[in-house]
Amino acid sequence: MRDISKKIEEMETARSTADHCLSCTSCMSSCPVMEAEKSYRGPKLVGPAHSRMHFSQEDFEESLDFCSNCKSCDRACPSGVAVSTLNMLQRAKYYETHEHSRRDDMLAHGERMAKLVRALPFGAAFANLGMSIGKALGVFGAMGMAGERNMPAYASDSFMQLFKGIKQPQSQKKVVFFPGCFINQNEPQVGVAFVKVMNANGYEVLVDEKFNCCGSPMVVTGYLAEAHEHAENNVSRILEWKRQGIPVIACCTSCSLMLKQEYHELFNEEKMHEAGENVYDAFEFLEILAEKDELNTSFQQVGEKLMYHVPCHLKSQGFGVPAAKILAQVPGVTVEQADAGCCGMSGNYGFKGDKYAISMKIGEKLFARIEDAKCDEVICDCGTCRLQIQHGTQARTCHPVEILAKAYGK
Amino acid sequence: MEKATVVVIGGGATGVGILRDLSMRGVDTLLVEKCDLVNGASSRYHGLLHSGGRYAVKDQEAARECIIENQILRRIGKSCVETTGGMFVRLDIDDPAYEEAWVKGCAESGIEATPITREEAFRLEPLLSKNVESAYLVPDAAIDGFRMSWQNVESAKRYGGRSLTYREVIGIEQESGQLKGVKVRNTITGEEEFIECEIAINAAGGWAGKVAALAGLEVGVQPDKGTLLAFNQRLTNHVVNRLHKSSDGDIFVPHGSITILGTSSMSIPDPEDTSTSREEVENLLAIGEKTFEHLRDYRMLRAFAGSRPLYIPPGGVKGRGASRGFAIVDHEDDGLKGMFTIVGGKFTTYRLMAEKMADKVCAKLGNTAPCRTAEEPLVPEVSEDAKKAARKYFPAYGTDLAATRLGPERFAKVVKRLAESPEKRELVCECENVTLAEFEEIAQEDSCYQINDIRRRTRVGMGTCQGNFCALRSAGLFAQYGRQKRAAETLTRMKEFLQGRWKGIRPVLVGRTLRETEMTRALYELSFHVNGGKTE
Repeated sequence: MRDISKKIEEMETARSTADHCLSCTSCMSSCPVMEAEKSYRGPKLVGPAHSRMHFSQEDFEESLDFCSNCKSCDRACPSGVAVSTLNMLQRAKYYETHEHSRRDDMLAHGERMAKLVRALPFGAAFANLGMSIGKALGVFGAMGMAGERNMPAYASDSFMQLFKGIKQPQSQKKVVFFPGCFINQNEPQVGVAFVKVMNANGYEVLVDEKFNCCGSPMVVTGYLAEAHEHAENNVSRILEWKRQGIPVIACCTSCSLMLKQEYHELFNEEKMHEAGENVYDAFEFLEILAEKDELNTSFQQVGEKLMYHVPCHLKSQGFGVPAAKILAQVPGVTVEQADAGCCGMSGNYGFKGDKYAISMKIGEKLFARIEDAKCDEVICDCGTCRLQIQHGTQARTCHPVEILAKAYGK
Repeated sequence: MEKATVVVIGGGATGVGILRDLSMRGVDTLLVEKCDLVNGASSRYHGLLHSGGRYAVKDQEAARECIIENQILRRIGKSCVETTGGMFVRLDIDDPAYEEAWVKGCAESGIEATPITREEAFRLEPLLSKNVESAYLVPDAAIDGFRMSWQNVESAKRYGGRSLTYREVIGIEQESGQLKGVKVRNTITGEEEFIECEIAINAAGGWAGKVAALAGLEVGVQPDKGTLLAFNQRLTNHVVNRLHKSSDGDIFVPHGSITILGTSSMSIPDPEDTSTSREEVENLLAIGEKTFEHLRDYRMLRAFAGSRPLYIPPGGVKGRGASRGFAIVDHEDDGLKGMFTIVGGKFTTYRLMAEKMADKVCAKLGNTAPCRTAEEPLVPEVSEDAKKAARKYFPAYGTDLAATRLGPERFAKVVKRLAESPEKRELVCECENVTLAEFEEIAQEDSCYQINDIRRRTRVGMGTCQGNFCALRSAGLFAQYGRQKRAAETLTRMKEFLQGRWKGIRPVLVGRTLRETEMTRALYELSFHVNGGKTE
């Protein structure tokens, strides 16, 4: 008799993984949104369970709007179901026949806005001023944004502008840096630190002007067709670099997750899977160097007590927490993991006015943990998690690569 | 003592069809069934409403009957027929000569078979094997055997028809060659009673031989077991048939949230034998994957089997070669006036069979009312407005399905409950989207003796987790709302329900189904310790 059982393949598209759901409810007990907001019917129901019922009528699940795409459900699933991606596909389907709000348009298209801002002389300064005034006048609140929050300020120079001024030693060993919108526009110092770290390890960093936004903000607001266009572009660039044997590295975990895994789950194209194999998170890459004994470990004394909030989208990549391991080798550095679940921000989710309270409720555990810990600084690989931590606590935050850059004395 | 002009023995498709037909003609009719309705072949089959394409080569008379009845049922059974359409596909390994004969046969039988390109076939059915050489669209459809039977009974009720489930016929009484009545035993309480009647119709399907024997008569019925597989997902949009000489495992029927693949054909001695084996499952998969190459990637929910009651006239053939036609025997010819047997036939032509049977009975009774079963819908439909207004109380994707299951009156009652008590919007069964309000509505019907009776009418426990999460809830709710005393025996009812699920799961206990079952075991045996403690 032939073997009629079949091993679950880990990388399959979301649609086919719905059939893997055993209805075990692990996703529901791990969902931070459900815990904070009881009217969310939960990942199991609105994802795999409903997908079996779509045949019956034209309909949509209202509470799907609560899903933040934090992917806690995907990680909890013992059967490898891409629950959150199923939710995002459903959300996109809804917007095929429904209008987007102006708020969602704005949240999805940060890259477009940034291009406009950068095209103007002193654009960043004016935009930042405009945002403070806008906030004071309640304009954002009226648009459906969380009026309680500051919009992230534009840096006076973008990473791509700063990069041109960095003098790097030439090397045969090269990596391409994918900065992503937030690092490029708002926190270019993270990208600069990354270049220093790679240089210290004998790598020359390249950038690719043809990359665009990874599409994560579009996927979560239901602009799937546009995200698909971005995926096509980015994937063709990544494959081009792959042909040259040059890996692509990101410091933003939502970007790297999108490039590595979500494209393929969402759009089911083999080339996306292939491209994903050439993408690394920064510390994932550094750990590979360490395993090959190629990591430069001549660290200088740094002397910082750090609390590490591991972002959901890093956990979802399933390579552990290499930043904690590497930073622990730096003299004077102690790294304690917060281990307090999702921060509640989930990209642009916490910026939505009607999600603000949920976002803050989810973050309570983390905020309390940080307040109790009395650390010097909170490190986190995700830019919007850092914004949430700054908003919910008094703590200073930075990307772990910035600490490592300090350890290399740069 | 119960009394009726006509007693129909057997609550399968044929029996409920006769009950409805006679009731509509004003004949006082009572149906008795030893289990729940459609417990035999009428639910243990594909759920396929044949276009007749299946019979276009071998039996054009059957094919013609199918297409006519297909069109009638689409009209009168809007709440139980899903008009999926059907597709016949010939694979590279199939005989092209058969295709030619089939196209001709369809044309001669009045079945519209529209050729489509391979590309169109793959667009309509993305999972189809690329080995498809040619494809045709036919008007096949899916039909829900459970709903169809209940709706026939509901329809009959409006005309005074009655039905008693869990009543097994244990004797047929006669006096000098004239039928006097039937003796039944309540299979739940063991009580026996006599039902006086002028005419008894043996519509017991696979059991027809046994019923006939109670009257000292002989009827040749060969139970022919067919095994089927239920998949967790809707794999196809159409009913997909292999275009070759009819064989095992070559039809896929999308049935609500699942897909049914079948069937095999095996002569067995006992119609009660609904067992299935790993070997049968493997055989079905091996054939099924010819049409859908990646079939084994999809999760099987369960295997089930039923017995076609094939009528074997003296010296006739058995198995797939036996006729799918039906026979009516007037036992007056055997010396018992008032006794009939109807046997054989197909689910698709159940209404026609009932009409022919009722014609014979009415002739005997001097009743000249015409048959109206082809004109009047089985049940009135829930209006679009009512569904629209109710949408806000139902889970997403739950309104239309609940409406077709419930019909207008019960639907209105369920909606009222949902509106008044928001907590009743909770789902008892998350896999099949069954609300507490609907469960409550059905659980309190007198005909619900066990959770399985509620299951067949609501689909509770028939989805992905196969009762894992709803068995416990159902047992508690049945105790709360059930009318029958035995509903209070919660542990027994829950185990009975889970055992029913387990029976179908056992032969497909591989891969994800195995994981699912381990979870069931962990929940019920370890966490709830249902097999420990005090026994009832």
